[in-house]
Amino acid sequence: MAKNPAINCGANRLTPSSLWRGCRRMWIQSAFLLLWLDPLGLRLHNMCGPVFHCYACPLATFACPIGVLASFTALHIFPFIAVGLLVLAAAVFGSLVCGWACPFGFLQDLLGKIPTPRFDLPRWTAHLRYAVLIGAVFLVPYFFGKDHPLFVCRFCPAGGLEAAVPSMMSQALAGQQIVWPNALKLTILVLFLVAIFFMRRPWCRILCPLGAIFSLFNRVSVFFLRLNPDKCTHCERCHKLCQFGIEPEKSPNDLRCVRCLECTRCGPGALTLGSIFETSHSTNDMADHRSNCTGGY
Amino acid sequence: MVFSSRRKIIVSCVLVAAGAAALIYGVLFHSTNISPAQGTDSPASAKAEPALIKEVTVGGLERDASGQVKKTYTDKAPQACPT
Repeated sequence: MAKNPAINCGANRLTPSSLWRGCRRMWIQSAFLLLWLDPLGLRLHNMCGPVFHCYACPLATFACPIGVLASFTALHIFPFIAVGLLVLAAAVFGSLVCGWACPFGFLQDLLGKIPTPRFDLPRWTAHLRYAVLIGAVFLVPYFFGKDHPLFVCRFCPAGGLEAAVPSMMSQALAGQQIVWPNALKLTILVLFLVAIFFMRRPWCRILCPLGAIFSLFNRVSVFFLRLNPDKCTHCERCHKLCQFGIEPEKSPNDLRCVRCLECTRCGPGALTLGSIFETSHSTNDMADHRSNCTGGY
Repeated sequence: MVFSSRRKIIVSCVLVAAGAAALIYGVLFHSTNISPAQGTDSPASAKAEPALIKEVTVGGLERDASGQVKKTYTDKAPQACPT
């Protein structure tokens, strides 16, 4: 069973500042959600957004970068805009995008607040994301085109939830024949919806190809999770705060981290969000930290 | 892999510059020749990458057996992605 997350959205005494502090991430995620949901009806689908949001959704401001990468690969055209945007966003923010801006992650966070038993995933499952990225986003589209059932958009649950479900509902309301998505997409969508109630961010942790890209940049991004070994008391409170089974004081920029920054609420304040331009004697070199702790290995 | 402070700054800056360069090139300069859908006589035309992105979001482009990228529709673009 997963550790009990120490999220406390709100505080004992509700004041505006405590409400902001307690739910800061949720407020920021909501603000980004508003941006992605195209409130002005701009439909800027000739530009990618940096988050996982299906362009077939009736409320989508930008095109999904993963859909664009896969479609361009199927056409054998190099997607300069999608690659440039993703490299730029990942090099600056890394997985902060997943934790603070992604609408699909936000949806999973919100449903994750429903009190149900949560289970930890084996560590190896995080590597499945890279298999999805290489297989369903690049290899299958390149060799078999868009019609193959393993083309990423054909089984993506974000597409199922944000595009297929609204489309089926509008068809039903209009009295038209309902066009169902394919069996694989439906199965993954149902499994995903069930999994949300028993795991933290199942899509992000197991299958998300966009998260896989961002996580690769965690160790070199401009903003990163900084550990100050002098302040760390090894109380392991960060282990309890982390909902994803990571031990932040051992690997603060772990590939599985979505940078929700919950671990920065640890008592001693050893973990903080830092940037490469801040000078510090403890610039997050795990090897240094480990050698300080253990005498070196 | 462990990065020293200075190396990390260099790697980050190179990645940011590479990302920005690719983005600017894609927005301003990159284009691809698109053939019209089968059954039409109009010649192939170059489309800029932002227009290509808009086309793929509605499933408006496909690659045929000869390797040419062509439109999937003749007059009006599809309303939504077919997947």
